[in-house]
Amino acid sequence: MADRISALDGHITKGRFGRASADQENAGVTISLVADLKLHQIAAWPDNIKQVGDLVSSSLKLNDLIKPCSSIGSADMGALRIEPLKWWIVGADAPEIDAEIGANLDLSHSRTRLRIAGPEATTLLNRLLPLDLREASFKNGAVASSAIHHVGITLWRNEAGYDIFVPRGFALSIWELIYESSLQFGVEVV
Amino acid sequence: MTAKRLENGGHIDRSKALQFTWDGRALSGYQGDSLASALLANNQSIIARSFKYHRPRGIMSSGVEESGALVTIGTGAYRDPNVRATTQSLYDGLVATGQNAWPSVRHDFAAINNVFGRFLAAGFYYKTFMGLPPFELGKGTGIWMQYEKIIRKSAGMGRVERKADPDSYEHAHSFCDLLIVGAGPAGLSAAIAAGELGLDVMLVEQDELLGGDLLGQPNSDTLRNELIAQIESNENIRIMLRTTAFGLYDYGTAGLVERVTDHVLTPEPHLPRQRFWTVRAKQTILATGALERHIAFDNNDRPGIMTATAGRNYLNRYGILAGQEIAIATNNDSAYATAADLSKAGANVTIVDARREVANSLQEIASAQGIEIRYKSAPFSAIGRGHIKALELAQGSHGHWQASGSLSCDLLLVSAGWSPVVNLISHRGVRPSWNQENACFVANQDFLGIQTVGSASGLWQTNDCQESASIAVEQAAKAIGHTPNKNNTSTVLQPGGWESPIEPLYEVKIATKKSKSFVDFQHDVTSEDVRLAHREGYQSVEHLKRYTTLGMANDGGKMGNIIGLALMSEALGKDIPAVGTTVFRPPYTPVAIGALTGRSVDEHFRPLRRTPMHDWNLAHGATMTMAGLWHRPWYFARDDETISEAYVREADTTRKSVGLCDVTSLGKIAVQGPDATELLNRIYTNPFAKLPIGKARYGIMLRDDGVVMDDGTTWRLSETEYFMTTTTVHAAKVLAFMEELLHTRWSDLRVHVTSVSEQWAGCAVAGPKSRDVLRACVQNPAMMSNEAFPFMGVREGLLKGNIPCRIARISFSGEMAYEVYVASDYAPAMMDLLHDQAISFDGCLYGLEALGTLRIEKGHVTGAELDGRVTIDDAGLGKMASPKKSFIGSALRQRPELMRTDRPQLVGFFPVNKNEIFNSGSVICDRNQISGMGEGWISSVTHSPELGHWIGLGFISGGLEAWQGKTAVAADPVRNKQIEVEIVSPHMIDPSGERMHG
Repeated sequence: MADRISALDGHITKGRFGRASADQENAGVTISLVADLKLHQIAAWPDNIKQVGDLVSSSLKLNDLIKPCSSIGSADMGALRIEPLKWWIVGADAPEIDAEIGANLDLSHSRTRLRIAGPEATTLLNRLLPLDLREASFKNGAVASSAIHHVGITLWRNEAGYDIFVPRGFALSIWELIYESSLQFGVEVV
Repeated sequence: MTAKRLENGGHIDRSKALQFTWDGRALSGYQGDSLASALLANNQSIIARSFKYHRPRGIMSSGVEESGALVTIGTGAYRDPNVRATTQSLYDGLVATGQNAWPSVRHDFAAINNVFGRFLAAGFYYKTFMGLPPFELGKGTGIWMQYEKIIRKSAGMGRVERKADPDSYEHAHSFCDLLIVGAGPAGLSAAIAAGELGLDVMLVEQDELLGGDLLGQPNSDTLRNELIAQIESNENIRIMLRTTAFGLYDYGTAGLVERVTDHVLTPEPHLPRQRFWTVRAKQTILATGALERHIAFDNNDRPGIMTATAGRNYLNRYGILAGQEIAIATNNDSAYATAADLSKAGANVTIVDARREVANSLQEIASAQGIEIRYKSAPFSAIGRGHIKALELAQGSHGHWQASGSLSCDLLLVSAGWSPVVNLISHRGVRPSWNQENACFVANQDFLGIQTVGSASGLWQTNDCQESASIAVEQAAKAIGHTPNKNNTSTVLQPGGWESPIEPLYEVKIATKKSKSFVDFQHDVTSEDVRLAHREGYQSVEHLKRYTTLGMANDGGKMGNIIGLALMSEALGKDIPAVGTTVFRPPYTPVAIGALTGRSVDEHFRPLRRTPMHDWNLAHGATMTMAGLWHRPWYFARDDETISEAYVREADTTRKSVGLCDVTSLGKIAVQGPDATELLNRIYTNPFAKLPIGKARYGIMLRDDGVVMDDGTTWRLSETEYFMTTTTVHAAKVLAFMEELLHTRWSDLRVHVTSVSEQWAGCAVAGPKSRDVLRACVQNPAMMSNEAFPFMGVREGLLKGNIPCRIARISFSGEMAYEVYVASDYAPAMMDLLHDQAISFDGCLYGLEALGTLRIEKGHVTGAELDGRVTIDDAGLGKMASPKKSFIGSALRQRPELMRTDRPQLVGFFPVNKNEIFNSGSVICDRNQISGMGEGWISSVTHSPELGHWIGLGFISGGLEAWQGKTAVAADPVRNKQIEVEIVSPHMIDPSGERMHG
């Protein structure tokens, strides 16, 4: 099978860029493309939320209930409740969903997954989007829909940092803005 | 002028000298100086020339209210005009120049305007419409047209740089429990109190130092340092210096602008020049202080006249004694401390107080320093041309003044009372109320989570300011849900704090003497202008403001508004509150447009959307064009082809062999669920209830009002799943409309709709050889036969290399054609496959231009035709509106107006003379009546390679039926062009559609 070519292919140069000083060896932020996204949307009908929710959790071999705007699992394999009736399964196989209880939709190519981490990650993100990312408001595991430069994105905070799911067609444009904004902190593109 | 820098004192670092240039002259100052203080220390008196009269102007204040010392900072593309020298931090290498003067601010030829002052009074611009007296020669626009050119040329202050701004800017967002604006004694105290309660605090200060008024007070270092230490040690408090809260908005939202690098010559790379912050605070405390007022008297704009606070700040903050013989004109207590400070520093000080008497304590301050106080006195006229030399005094009260001798001085400080800074709370629609006792406007102290404290609430004593802050923090904490430490809720402090009451004083004039007294220095509005406006019938303060332009300069009326109001109230014979005040609007101080724009510039002016074949297309010679936010291939020129040559070749090749076109930008929506069929049947005009699995159908959607919204094909993938395509332009609108229907009207339907526009990359394969190309590209060539894959069929399969694909046999070009979709990351692989095969059949890539040609030849409509005015009948697709079912728009489309048979309807246009061309947008007129809206319009045009001449699509009243065989005129009034056109069927080639079925 052919290789997957991401939206950023040929446009990213890895390395250390931007602000650099002797007393600041580590970059303020690291940004990266998380390649080969595996993403399925699972949707339920209003009467089948519990049933479908259980199927979603069990696909990660977990049995937690996922509240809206939160997630379970890890950055490698997680499930995000992106809307009251919709989940995203990231990095894991999605369960079969009978049409009588909901729907399964492959969105693996629809988003470009960018990761922002490092001590200035929150500061950088707030240069781009208007969400309250203070620890008390946006804990590890939190999920939100927001916008960067008018483009609707999904934000997920996990143990690896912040994951941003950008609609693929806008990904390079948004990457450029993130990169440009990150230079002031010193950035490591990994 | 005899300003001098003192040996010690102030918040400047004398060990760090900074070199700067003022109007070409090399000067030096110290770290901690503002440009104004450095100019003052260098005895520079005339810093600017006034707006209309080009009068010499000097430094009038030490803060944001500055209306005199406006200068241009920087050179070349970095040049920034109208910068207040008082708020510009000095840095090594700063280049400042005077503006609005020639050859320089010291010698300005345009100062001749001052002589003709009476022709430049309020409203002179409007009066140019009245013509020349006595016969009103040129009345109306005649003579005004001539004046306008001259006036426009001389209008304005600094010249803006016309090159693109080389600086970068950015936006930022923040959230907090408590936003405190202003870091004077009140703001600092509020921050400390709130920080101790554990609130998340943002403390915003426009200055580069914390302290506010403390910076201008002597012996305040201990208090200031103590307050700052407490703030800096509390991690709950975020301090933002050089940041102005310029506007307050709904629900605790504040707009801030942070000047990140305006104080350095060579900023650290990658830092933006300014940062535009949107802060969302649960509670807000405004500790914005108060601004000292001026007095209107003759020549009150002379260099060497400034506010008393400024004199004090230059002394205590910058270590500069601004004069030797200092007169202080006042009507309130605050100037006495200033007088004492200046006297202690070695100046000879005289206080000119409008009041009859003052409290003993004030008298003692004066006598201890040997300061003379002249009671019931006020300045009437300033003497001296380039700088004040002496003062003519007047004695009296309540507007009745008599000359009472003169006083020689080289500096006049004015303190005519204080105006609390109520600008921000005004932004929220709160009208400040007039406080008679303190002669100032104060705002409600608490409004929807916004509290005003300190001198901004009319408190004049430092300890009162601090106490008011603590009370406000308690209130704020309670509102957020913090339980208060103490049970005793203190009462709000009332405005005031002076020992001797203020005596309102706005203007000093003697009836027998002429005077030129400025109210708004920046716009050269005099007190006589205000009276003139009143005489000419202006009664409302809002009208007065616009007619005289009072308060409309970049200080936003900080210096002149109250005086103007007082003069107006006097003229009207009303009290100030009865006249009312003008509404302050954002921004508090000017904000660079660049800061508002942030990073949305150049290629990021708007988000750019690329298809997954973007790079592939470019690598294969595409010239791109914008289609909404999308970048799409426009044409693929070979060698030296022009666009016309390229698209004609591409269209021709497609009709004769095969062409490939990136159609990824089409909207794609997954429609899933047991009721998906029902949903589609309700939103499309044509029947969808019985669309078999593996078939696609063209459908049209209407808006509720019966006008066409969008069209596209929808493919049935399974019993419960469809793949809908929409036009590029309406993709988001269609999805949003479907969501709205499902959430509001038809919440009983079990359907989910999700955009999959980004999931799938699409390529149109069109032309007689399209089947051959695909047969060579799929794993199983048998699937491509006409029988296995008929017209409007949909198949899922594999391209070579095991790439899963969806193919539909649909045609926009009128040729046998397919649309092939693969998951986006495989798009380049798909294009490589298809392209190799297309080349082997002498096929080509085609872009949007050729796509247009092919569909226009076929009479297929797009957004150009479906422009929101067109009904399904107008578009010639009335047969697609099912009479047997109801659908969105089915009722309202039958309104009589929409069913009229003489409505403009879709037709094709040929030029009668086949060598001629006409433009899209031309108005179609009856040849005997070429005027107005005509009979219709042309929506799309192209050269048809098939027909060998220019063709167009458009609309004409009554359609083909009314016009068949007739001609009309395509009028293009803008280009003054009229082309005779023949009206034909929109289906200009292969009307029976044999090619696509073959």
